[in-house]
Amino acid sequence: MLPDPAAAVWLVLLGGWMAVDGTSLGQFMVSRPLVAATLAGWIAGNPVAGIAAGVVLELFHLAVLPVGAARYPEGGPAAVVAGALHASAEAVPGALLMCVAFALAWEWVGGETLRVMRQVNVRLVASEAGPRGADQLQLRHLAGILLDFLRGTFVVGVGLVCLSALLIVSAGQWSLDPEVARLAVSASAVGLLAATLGVFGGRTRIFLFGAAAGLVFVLVRT
Amino acid sequence: MTKLPKLVALRVLLRSLTVQGSWNYETLIGTGFAFTVLPVLRYLHPTDAEAFRSALVRHTEVFNSHPYLATVAVGAVSRLEAEGADPIMIQRFKSALRGSLGSIGDQLVWTAWKPATVMVGVALVVAGMAWWFGLAVFLLTYNTFHLGLRAWGLRVGTASGLEVGKVLRDAPIQKIARRAGDLGALFGGFALVVAATDLLKESDWSIVSFSCVGLAVAVGLWLGPRARLLFGSVLMTAWFLAIVWEWIR
Repeated sequence: MLPDPAAAVWLVLLGGWMAVDGTSLGQFMVSRPLVAATLAGWIAGNPVAGIAAGVVLELFHLAVLPVGAARYPEGGPAAVVAGALHASAEAVPGALLMCVAFALAWEWVGGETLRVMRQVNVRLVASEAGPRGADQLQLRHLAGILLDFLRGTFVVGVGLVCLSALLIVSAGQWSLDPEVARLAVSASAVGLLAATLGVFGGRTRIFLFGAAAGLVFVLVRT
Repeated sequence: MTKLPKLVALRVLLRSLTVQGSWNYETLIGTGFAFTVLPVLRYLHPTDAEAFRSALVRHTEVFNSHPYLATVAVGAVSRLEAEGADPIMIQRFKSALRGSLGSIGDQLVWTAWKPATVMVGVALVVAGMAWWFGLAVFLLTYNTFHLGLRAWGLRVGTASGLEVGKVLRDAPIQKIARRAGDLGALFGGFALVVAATDLLKESDWSIVSFSCVGLAVAVGLWLGPRARLLFGSVLMTAWFLAIVWEWIR
């Protein structure tokens, strides 16, 4: 169930990148679940399965604000785990539900490690024993980014092992009808798309205009 | 000084990408601010080691702002440092600025531009475009504005100095946030209809699927952003029940 060793190494490194992109380095939004899960799926050999998990996780994350000292779920590394394992285990009954549900829980584990790392950063750069002079300041600041990268690799590495184990255990024992599991995930995604009306401050007319455009698109496509 | 030398400005911009690199609960992004402003301090104090060191220490103190708009503060502080302003005044100026830079950035980027561009990407994926196309459109659209905002911040900060508050008040931030919200709502409506239709079509328009989708849409419209908690609980419960049921059997 685990991706092959070479892919697993790349996935763990991708996890490190997603962690630093979230806060420490750039914030180019490569760490959005939509992108992170797709890249992970691509590394695991099935980007389409990766993006399926990514879209659902992205909709869950749309209204999450990474503001200041607030505690928030960390979407990027968890999406790497979900995207990679959905790509590797798409055939397992209920795989999408399991990957998404696991990622939603794992995001909070990631958020908690972020909080701990920020406490470590206090000792690294802000305490009495903090930096003396420009060179030390730069070194310690960059060490903070490296620490974040390592944290991301850890979160993804452990997440891959845990979710793989769950998928292996449940592969032969999944009792929920795969169609029901798929419907639960898809209906949740549709519900979260409806919730975007609230996310964008109740722009009802524009939302309905978009819905009408969607209807025209569906009719033209068929 | 109303403009930084090009090479110094480029270094500051690149360093600003790491402004949150050592985010901590004591000085927040204070160290990141000092790391970002360091090329300016080196440029201003090429031979006076003591002046350089004391300026650097002052800028490691507590500071916070939206990461993309930290360049506004860096630019304005660079100008004040170049003009030889009183250090206490510079500290007060930074304290006064940090609240506005945080709230403007949150309002403009986190609650408007980011979700809007994400919705564009999601809508393209849902509409069946190639997987890489939706991602590329999202990343390019988002980051064009993101990097532009950082560069604009440094430019207006350096050009305006103490007057930067006025520039921020006059900038069309509300207008951009409103337009981004419109864009997000438009693509949200589009993606909703396409995704719901595809789901119903795949399940042969069965009454169960139709009821589930109808209920999910109603709940989503009713709860708005709070729907995340409910749908997350639904998925976790479904997962949990499937495992428990198997154990019982």
